[in-house]
Amino acid sequence: MIRFIMAITMLLMAVPAAWAQDTIGFVKTVSGSATIVDSGKANTAQVGTPIKMGNTLKTGPKGAMGVTFKDNTVMSFGPDTELTVDEYLYSPGTGKLKFGTNISKGSMQVVSGVIAKLKPQAVTVKTPSAMIGCRGTRFLVKVEPSDGRE
Amino acid sequence: MILNLKTGLTFFAILLAVTSCATPKSYVVLMDNADGTVGKLAVSGTKAEASGENSDVLLSKSRTGVDLDGKANTPYAVDENRIKKDFGEAIAIQPPLPVSFMLYYKAGGTELTDESQALIPKIVETARKHPAPDVSVIGHTDTMGDSEFNEQIGLQRARSVAELIKKAGIQVNDLTIASHGERNLLVATPDNTSEPKNRRVEITVR
Repeated sequence: MIRFIMAITMLLMAVPAAWAQDTIGFVKTVSGSATIVDSGKANTAQVGTPIKMGNTLKTGPKGAMGVTFKDNTVMSFGPDTELTVDEYLYSPGTGKLKFGTNISKGSMQVVSGVIAKLKPQAVTVKTPSAMIGCRGTRFLVKVEPSDGRE
Repeated sequence: MILNLKTGLTFFAILLAVTSCATPKSYVVLMDNADGTVGKLAVSGTKAEASGENSDVLLSKSRTGVDLDGKANTPYAVDENRIKKDFGEAIAIQPPLPVSFMLYYKAGGTELTDESQALIPKIVETARKHPAPDVSVIGHTDTMGDSEFNEQIGLQRARSVAELIKKAGIQVNDLTIASHGERNLLVATPDNTSEPKNRRVEITVR
């Protein structure tokens, strides 16, 4: 029985890992230095580099980068920015929609896409001290790393 | 001399006040969409939630912002200079927005209507302008005939459009092809209804 439970647990753990392999967007524009961190490994971002769920998108002190996701969400980042895509589910047919990101520092612009249109409460941007819920719009976020950290 | 010192001190105090006003802060600004519409932003401070205070702010006016410091929660207007200073680089690097096209078909097969055929060069041109374009093609049918057969027709339509794009010689970074058959009607109809608006392929160039 314990073995059975362990097997089920491992199976459940393996499912999100398998999803994480799917490409959810692509880098479209880069200037200066920018990297995509995938499973702890940092790769130089280039035009056409794929983005997966769980990736961290980073720009250097003089870097900037633009990314377009499968649901037509367009995000672009100014210098010294770090954003992680925590959750991305885009399956309009089954209603599975979720787009959760976390920005720890820097500046960005978000032009929301289909997920925000179909299920507004599904699009969130976390900052060190707040949570932003997007209901179909363009918006800007700036995070000073010192804010929200004692 | 004393007077000079005083003026100097006052000047210094003003300078201090000005710089402290300009202290960088975390904040969010609601902007208008490319089509002029404005959505909404719901902002909740996680810190305030912990203390039991309700600090939810709803932004609904373009170019209003709110600080994200877990304390202040009063929206304010954000001027163009501040937007340029803090977000100039992020806005400048924005990739072109995705563009969608709809192509329509003559009954039964994969033959495009004349109007839709004429749209092909525009789709190709859009893909050329987008950096590392990724294109999705989804085929649809009307409800004539059986649904399984329509899944196939939808797929054939999507594939024929994908072929047209390939033939144009554009370097596409990614191309996804899917069929929704008769499951995703643009115009709701009963079964076995010929409806030109439902016989379509949806193309998105990202």
